[in-house]
Amino acid sequence: MFLWSAILISLGLLVLFKYSDFMIANVNNLFQTNISLLNLALPIGISFYTFQILSYVIDVYQGKVQAQKSFIKLTTYVSLFPQLIAGPIVRYIDIAKELDSREHTFEKFALGIRRFCIGLAKKVLIANQLGELCQIFLQADEKSVVFYWIYGISFSLQIYFDFSAYSDMAIGLGKIFGFHFLENFNYPYISKSITEFWRRWHISLGTWFRDYVYIPLGGNRVGKLKLLRNILVVWMLTGFWHGANWTFILWGLLFGTLLIIEKIFLLKKLEKLPKVLQCSYVLFIVMISFILFNANDIGQAIYQITGLFGANGEGFINNYTIYYLKSYFIILLVAIIGATPIVKNVVNKLKEKATLKKVLNVLEPITMIVIIVIVTAYLVDNSYNPFLYFRF
Amino acid sequence: MSDKTKNIVVVIIFVLFLVMMMLLNIIKTDTEISLSERRKLAKFPEITVQKILDGSFSKEFEKYATDQIIKREGFRKTKANIEMKVLRKKDNNHIYQYKNSIIKMEYPLNEKSVQNAASKINQLQQEYFRQNKCYYTIVPDKNYFVSSNEYIRLDYEKLQEMMQKNITNMEYINLFECLQLEDYYVTDIHWKQENLSKVVEKLSKQMNFTVNNIYTKNEIIEFNGLYAGQLPVKTKQDKICTLTNQTVENATVYHYENGKQTKVYDEEKLNSNDKYDIYLSGPTPMITIENKEAKTNKELIIFRDSFASSLAPLLIEGYSKITLIDIRYMRSKDIEKYVKIENQEVLFLYSTLVLNNSSILK
Repeated sequence: MFLWSAILISLGLLVLFKYSDFMIANVNNLFQTNISLLNLALPIGISFYTFQILSYVIDVYQGKVQAQKSFIKLTTYVSLFPQLIAGPIVRYIDIAKELDSREHTFEKFALGIRRFCIGLAKKVLIANQLGELCQIFLQADEKSVVFYWIYGISFSLQIYFDFSAYSDMAIGLGKIFGFHFLENFNYPYISKSITEFWRRWHISLGTWFRDYVYIPLGGNRVGKLKLLRNILVVWMLTGFWHGANWTFILWGLLFGTLLIIEKIFLLKKLEKLPKVLQCSYVLFIVMISFILFNANDIGQAIYQITGLFGANGEGFINNYTIYYLKSYFIILLVAIIGATPIVKNVVNKLKEKATLKKVLNVLEPITMIVIIVIVTAYLVDNSYNPFLYFRF
Repeated sequence: MSDKTKNIVVVIIFVLFLVMMMLLNIIKTDTEISLSERRKLAKFPEITVQKILDGSFSKEFEKYATDQIIKREGFRKTKANIEMKVLRKKDNNHIYQYKNSIIKMEYPLNEKSVQNAASKINQLQQEYFRQNKCYYTIVPDKNYFVSSNEYIRLDYEKLQEMMQKNITNMEYINLFECLQLEDYYVTDIHWKQENLSKVVEKLSKQMNFTVNNIYTKNEIIEFNGLYAGQLPVKTKQDKICTLTNQTVENATVYHYENGKQTKVYDEEKLNSNDKYDIYLSGPTPMITIENKEAKTNKELIIFRDSFASSLAPLLIEGYSKITLIDIRYMRSKDIEKYVKIENQEVLFLYSTLVLNNSSILK
């Protein structure tokens, strides 16, 4: 009973704050009623800490971990600020020992700073820039087929750099405070199937749904129909977790369906294709899915997706597109390279040579400080707001 | 450097940077205005329970922190350098360089705004100047002279078409053909007074007034305009020049806002933050220029923006009195309180920048 009451209270609060207006709006549409929306402010990080609480309660119930008797330590786990807002979803079992005692060393602190700075740079210098480009596209009167593609690619990169940047910063801050959070992203855009993509994208969410929804529903040790049901339920919930809108539910179901198709036959067929084609398939599907993810409604998503193929009557390319393609070309290029492990592999290779390692060790602190200064410069410039008609 | 030393260095540099930035920002006194943005900078927000609870305190504090951070202009220049030189972006905050001139991109055409401006002009004409001869003209901003293959710019043809279609009972004076990019300051949005002879000629022909158009050119001071220092590029400095002759020298300017009387060129303003204010003392709701030596009793009312400040002195020879009204700084319904409407001629002179952002017209 304690388990169920804990689950109901946590999920109840999540539903109340995050989904009540969505449900009211749908009831109003369906039954032509006029129930007022609640317009509740969404408590910061509720999607993440609700799942953290649930994982704690269920793990304690299942005897996987002992209950935390210190209220302060438990609330520290639930409200740990580095990952409170944007993940990763940290399981109690993974940091239980560190809540009691943590080791602080220069090495951990420096690693944390490095990771934090990388995250900060990814967010401010790449994700925000790509976000600007996406906004330019969304507000543009003069779209073109090429611009639709630029938007699709830019948003896919923006969401990766934005989300993984927050995870980097959380992992880095965690390290500074002596915690070890698990990785949340592992270069998802080099995946060769959607199945692999979801093993590399938002890992903490995927494993959470696997352990606390998919497996309790029977996982894959059930008949075919139940297996299909389990996959679709998990992915519908995964989509719905991301936001209270039908676009998110559809987004989740799209992945659920693709994973079923891959499980049944596509995965084996894909393996026979050249790697480039496997990756292209994943990148195309993911881009389409993120266009849906970012759309205000399904109609807008369909319009933007059909725009990729010139179905909206816009020309192939225009001056407006060329201007912004030229302006953002280097950022796009940096983002594409940064989404692959190329840089990491090169640095690791260089570190194998003792002399180069020493050089890299000198460069690291310089790079960190340069990143902080540049990021500060970009954040300060966000406040640029000229007023032509000011009278001195 | 060994791993151990590197780790220690990274930690020390990071912590020092944070602590130093915090201390320097605490010590630094707040700056009142940003010259480059022409706006007041945010002040430390008031702390109240209400503001903390509704989140406005943190929003205002964030604005304050980014407005008042130490070396703000330096940080902004660093960002501009990276955008233009490293990332090879074509503009920074929509500001770009074209043929040595620094230009703020104005895009897209805001049709609602143009329509609103046209309605405002029509409304003024209908309300106050039904019996008067009225003209309107549009001053192109610098983007007009830029190649549309290289940069994106307003559809100026459509803007003019819309104005001509929507404005009735007035004669349009097309100034687009009288100007080129070189007629504008390199670092500012405005045109140069000393390059306006073609504009004056066009106006005098169409409005049927007489001016000699012979002036002595005085180089007054070097001038950094609104966009100076906004891009990491070297540009030559602009110069403020004034054109004078006997009429301009003797003309007097009356300022309704403060009751002061000045000369056409207000040299006191050379000490102000915007040296373009030398022309008719800069932005002000309403002024009159009187030409007591005029050989005519013709009067002119100009509804205007700042472009008229440097132009109006060159028109005074053709009139006994010019009244300049700026409805960005006063309500148009107050006009009758200050102007006795008789048989004056009326000119509406607005730049494309104002027409495309006309919500500022009151």
